[in-house]
Amino acid sequence: MKQTVTKNGIGAWTERKYDVEKAAGTLAFTDDLRFGPELLHARAVRSTVAHGEILSIDFSEALKVKGVVKVVTGKDFVHRFGLYLMDRTPMAIGKVRYMGEPVALVIAESEEAAEEGMLKVTAKYRELPPIFDPVKAATDNSVLVHPELETYDHVDFITPFPGTNIGNWFRIRRGDVDKAFSEAEYIVEEAVNCPQIAHGFLEPHCCICREDPATGDLTIWSTAQSAFALRDIVSKGLKYPLSKIRVIAPPIGGGFGGKAGMTVEALCLAGAMNPDVRGRPVKLYIPREEVLLTSWVRQAYVAKIKLGIDKDGKIIAIRNTFYFDTGISAEYGANPVRSAGYSSTGCYYIPNVWTDSYAVYTNKPFGGAYRGFGLPELMGAMEVVIDIAARKVGMDPIEFRLKNILKPGLPTCTGMPMNNHALDTIVGKVVDRIRLNEKEPATRKGWVRGKGFALALKAPAMPADAASSAIVKILGDGTVEVLAATMDMGQGAYTAYSQMVSEELGIPIEKIRCPYPDTQSHPYDWQTVASRSCWSMGMAVKRAASDARQKLLALYAEYWQVEPESITIEHGIVKCRKKGKAEPIDEHIQSGFPMPDGNYKGGPVIGTGSFVPPDVIYPDAETGQSPKSVVHFTVGAVGIDVEVDPATGAVEVNKVSAGYDVGKAISPVNVKGQIEGGTVQGISAGLMEGMYYDEHGKLLTPDFTDYKIATALDVPPDLDAFWEETPEELSPYGNRGVGEHSMISPAPAMDNALFDALGIRIHSYPLGRERVYKAIQAKKKGETDLWEYPYALEQSYKNAIKEWK
Amino acid sequence: MKRDVHFILNGKPVTFSVEPRTTLLRALREYGVTSVKRGCEEGECGTCTVVIDDLAQKSCMVLALEAEGKSVLTVEGLVGPKGELHPIQQAFVDEGAIQCGFCTPGMIMSAYAFLRKTPDPTEEEIRVALAGNLCRCTGYIPIFRAVHKAAAVMRELGHIPGRAR
Repeated sequence: MKQTVTKNGIGAWTERKYDVEKAAGTLAFTDDLRFGPELLHARAVRSTVAHGEILSIDFSEALKVKGVVKVVTGKDFVHRFGLYLMDRTPMAIGKVRYMGEPVALVIAESEEAAEEGMLKVTAKYRELPPIFDPVKAATDNSVLVHPELETYDHVDFITPFPGTNIGNWFRIRRGDVDKAFSEAEYIVEEAVNCPQIAHGFLEPHCCICREDPATGDLTIWSTAQSAFALRDIVSKGLKYPLSKIRVIAPPIGGGFGGKAGMTVEALCLAGAMNPDVRGRPVKLYIPREEVLLTSWVRQAYVAKIKLGIDKDGKIIAIRNTFYFDTGISAEYGANPVRSAGYSSTGCYYIPNVWTDSYAVYTNKPFGGAYRGFGLPELMGAMEVVIDIAARKVGMDPIEFRLKNILKPGLPTCTGMPMNNHALDTIVGKVVDRIRLNEKEPATRKGWVRGKGFALALKAPAMPADAASSAIVKILGDGTVEVLAATMDMGQGAYTAYSQMVSEELGIPIEKIRCPYPDTQSHPYDWQTVASRSCWSMGMAVKRAASDARQKLLALYAEYWQVEPESITIEHGIVKCRKKGKAEPIDEHIQSGFPMPDGNYKGGPVIGTGSFVPPDVIYPDAETGQSPKSVVHFTVGAVGIDVEVDPATGAVEVNKVSAGYDVGKAISPVNVKGQIEGGTVQGISAGLMEGMYYDEHGKLLTPDFTDYKIATALDVPPDLDAFWEETPEELSPYGNRGVGEHSMISPAPAMDNALFDALGIRIHSYPLGRERVYKAIQAKKKGETDLWEYPYALEQSYKNAIKEWK
Repeated sequence: MKRDVHFILNGKPVTFSVEPRTTLLRALREYGVTSVKRGCEEGECGTCTVVIDDLAQKSCMVLALEAEGKSVLTVEGLVGPKGELHPIQQAFVDEGAIQCGFCTPGMIMSAYAFLRKTPDPTEEEIRVALAGNLCRCTGYIPIFRAVHKAAAVMRELGHIPGRAR
């Protein structure tokens, strides 16, 4: 018998936690915290060359600026940091590797003085030849971004190659691809490229650090997605005890991966831990124009995919070569490379697989986590190549996809059996809803219309031992505090956890609170990334809430002298119908119950729960095979209906339909929010986003004027977001990850729709107006493909492809 | 050298002492009105939008001294005396129009200035009115829903609730 009753449990549409404070403007973000007149402000001095030896840094003039307290340089703070590969220093030491790299930090009494001081620091460099093209960097070792690569520590599942620019090389070797290609009826060999893109969260990075001068204890307040991972990275980088580092993570204004791991905190610590500064809090606020240089970017990529297809349209072999441009650091970027690699047959079953996925160092800002984590890159290429292949084979693209689809139970490219899913149902719905099979006339005069489709898939990409834990405290007024160190950065984690706790405890959601993470009060959670939280932390929260319920029931059972099974908790009221009891939870729950035997029993009721995925095994380094490489895959599909103005190249989206198999929607308002928001972010990325550099490596798009993201005017008039619920076996409520997935496939669906509209294939993202216009002009000259790769002189697609064989 | 500027902030007269170069954004935040967010300080993102004499303005593009004699309204000022949310704020909560919440104060202030002038807007008018306020989380769709809903509630009430200013 279910012993709890609530209106706001699993699957309920509820008000979101913290929305009232957000609407009222009273929720304090990191930049809103106040530290009084002791607070110092830091500002980075940044490199003006992309690659060079530092000859001198002169900050004597900066020290003369009123209010400047101290200037520190890389030599004053020699520590290496990194989540997976320790290749990053907070400031350049001896050598700069990208334009914008911090070379010094000015610390002053005010932000204005720090800025003025920053402008007075001069650095001299002996320039070295830079490398910007990831394909060249991967294949030509004449310029090495990290000659010291062999000295860097790294986790076992990352494979850097010292003496090259390869920060990680992930491989899959299964079956005999050469034999399969020789037997194939059709060979399709295509390539797709995409520049780096930016997260575009609206809250810039901000961090305040303070070292206790007496104890050496460090406190870090930061715009961090993952308080514990940040603590861990700082601890390892500084060789400082974990227990002496406290991370407080106030609400953050969007993350999308850009505030995962460690971002700017070590730079701030370089100021706060300086002997002349120690004891005073130091604040490092990153102005918008520096955010794109300081944060992770989504790695640029060049993906080459070769398919061998038999006469029935079955894909029998695939050979993938992915070059990810990870910039000057692969400390985090090594892992999306791996994530794309171990998902590299996409949503299809292909028996023979050869995949090489490389993280390539270049002299650019660094690649890292970004919503989708390797999968928008993989699918951005894969779903375009599949569309091309279907046409070559002479099959309908949907029929071709369904023929090769990765059905439940079939092995993924790493050999693990695919989990249950309803992808065929989703495909059917998307096809119907955008009337994919109907050619419709354009609604705008003189425009042309096209429709495109793409599948999506993603697993949480995390270490095998990414653990979570939670504490559920029932307080003396019948309310509940849930300590779960997930960062609710808008995705709605705290609403979902409150619904879980409400389900397990029968206490209304209004009485449940989730404070923001603080490593001093919260139990451990690895990171808020990978669409893992509702699943992994969900397991811990459910366990903690059940634990609290068992304890509560046992106490009431003894108090009332009844069986625990006869007790229910209904909307916060504890009841025993048999005995006619009904009492709201009160102070007894914290102070103990006076039992019939005259003794007090109980004391504060606290439930605990821990979880680690029990059975994930890292893929074999040589073959990429593993009985269970990831915890589960979430699948989905996107259909897009677009119109193009042939006179200008302008693209307007009429309708999008996007559906995902979420297993179970814990919090439907948030699932809908994730699908709607991610779809628009995906359209934005596909249509307009790219980071561009001049020939010296200077970023040309450091602000929202030049780096365009979707505004209210760019949103499709009709966006159909839906989901299916095929339960996941090992899961709190059958739910799977869904946060990132909606970002993955709008771009390739758009590319396929543009082909349908224009009859020419565009191989380069983004699909901006200028590029679409060029494609229209190229089509008029009889071209079939448009290829624009910023670093190659060869701009003919056919020649470019040949060059790589 | 610092100079005094006098204006009405959320219905109350205030005097700030500011450097001539200080923006209204920084002056408000320094004073403690932190709903006014700094997202870019370049006039691009809209997170610092306030309403100055009925006009939605990016406070990073206004010098504090320019507020002399004017009325400045921030999202804190929309909350009623008993803590009740303004219909626009409530609609944002009800419609799932908030995710991270960083763009929310500015977005609500743009919607507020817009709905005062356009009480019965079309979808297209809403989109144009909010085009200067970026949101990276929601995809704007629930925000459009919320503004429609707030407009309907406000029309039904027949007046703009909250304190007169």
